[in-house]
Amino acid sequence: MTVFDLLIQYIKDGRIKLDKSKYADVPAAYHDPCNYGRKAQKMFGYGYFEEPRWILSQCTDNWTDLYPSTMNQLCCGGGGGALTTGYNDERILYGGRKIDQIKATGAQMIVVPCHSCHGQLNSIKAAYKMENLEIKYLWEMVADCMIL
Amino acid sequence: MSDVIKINDIDSSDCQRFDKWPFSQDFCVTCGLCSSTCPVSGIDNFDPRKLVRMISLGLEEQLVESRWPWICTMCAKCEKVCPMGIDIASLIRGVRSLRDRDKVPGILHKGLTAAMKTGNNLGLPQDDFVFIIEDVAEEIAEEPGFEGFTAPIDKKGANLLTTIHNKLVNTHTEDLKYWWRIFHAAQEDWTVPSDNWEGTNWGLFTGDDEAMKIMTGRIVENMEKLEIKTLLWPE
Repeated sequence: MTVFDLLIQYIKDGRIKLDKSKYADVPAAYHDPCNYGRKAQKMFGYGYFEEPRWILSQCTDNWTDLYPSTMNQLCCGGGGGALTTGYNDERILYGGRKIDQIKATGAQMIVVPCHSCHGQLNSIKAAYKMENLEIKYLWEMVADCMIL
Repeated sequence: MSDVIKINDIDSSDCQRFDKWPFSQDFCVTCGLCSSTCPVSGIDNFDPRKLVRMISLGLEEQLVESRWPWICTMCAKCEKVCPMGIDIASLIRGVRSLRDRDKVPGILHKGLTAAMKTGNNLGLPQDDFVFIIEDVAEEIAEEPGFEGFTAPIDKKGANLLTTIHNKLVNTHTEDLKYWWRIFHAAQEDWTVPSDNWEGTNWGLFTGDDEAMKIMTGRIVENMEKLEIKTLLWPE
C-alpha cells in the first residue's frame, strides 16, 4: 500500500490526531515527485495528486502549490538515479529551475514524499544558498504535528 | 556529441535493433515540444527530440556511449506533451540498458551488484543492520510519549511489513524515526525484515529488468515467510 493510503487511513480512523498550529507561521509548498504523479498516471493509470495534498491540509492551512503543478510539475532534477551517477554539475544546473519555482511562491518549507526528491532538494538548497528553506518529508510533517 | 553525421552515410542495417523497439519512436514529427518542455534541454547539447531521431536513424553506438541518457532524469515531461504518444522516458531507460554494465556511471551498478549479492545496496551485514535498527529504536524510547518503543524485526503475522531506504541506515538514521513515531502513535502492528530489507530498486535506473524482478521477488518472499499481507514501500 502507498504511504498516502496508510496516512489517510490513520487520520480518518482517528488513530493519529494532528495539530495544525505547529507550522501555521511557516509558508509551505508541495512538490509532486514524478514517480508518484505523472509517471504513475502513465504506468498505472492513477497518479497520486489529491491524496498528499489532503494529508498536508490536515497538518497546516498555510501551504500553496508550486506552479506548474500536478501533471505539469517540474522534476527536482534528482530523478532517474541522478543523485548517484556522479553528474553533479548537470544535476545542480537542472535543479535551478526548481529553485526559481520555489522562490516564486515565497515558501519557507517544501513538503515532499520521496527520498530522491528530498536528497536533491537539500542539495540544490545548499548550492543556491537557500539556507532558510526547510525540506520536509510528508510523513515527517505528519509525525511533527501529531498530538500524543 | 558535436560531430556532424550525414544522413546518407548512415547504414540502414544499423537500425535493426531499434526497429524492434516498442516506443513508437518513428512516429516523431520533429515538432520540438519535448525539447521545449525538457528541463535538461541544452545541457551538454542534449534535447529529447535529437535523441528520438538518433534512435530512429539507428545511431545506437553514439547514444549508448553518450552521457545524454544519464543526465536525463526520465521525468516524462516530454511524454506528457508529445502529440504522437512516443514513450520517450521508457525509451531512454532502454538506451541505458544497452550500456556495458561496468560502464554504468557513478555508483548505480555497483550498488545494484551489492544488492544482488547481499540483499542491500550498501552490502550491510545483517548483524550491523539489526544493531542500527535497535539503536535508533532505543533513542525513540527515550522521547516523551514513546516510552517502551521497540522496532519489531521479523515479526511473524504482523499487520504491516515495511522496507527501508538504504540511506536511512547509512547517513540518515534520524529519518527512520518519523514513520516509527507514526506507527507507535497509531498502535500499528508492524515489522521490518532483517534480510532483503532494501526498498530502493536501482535496476529501475540502470534499465536492468532482471535485477528488478529479483529485488521485488525477495520482498514478496519476505511477506510469504512472515505471513504478512500488507506491504508499505515508502521508497
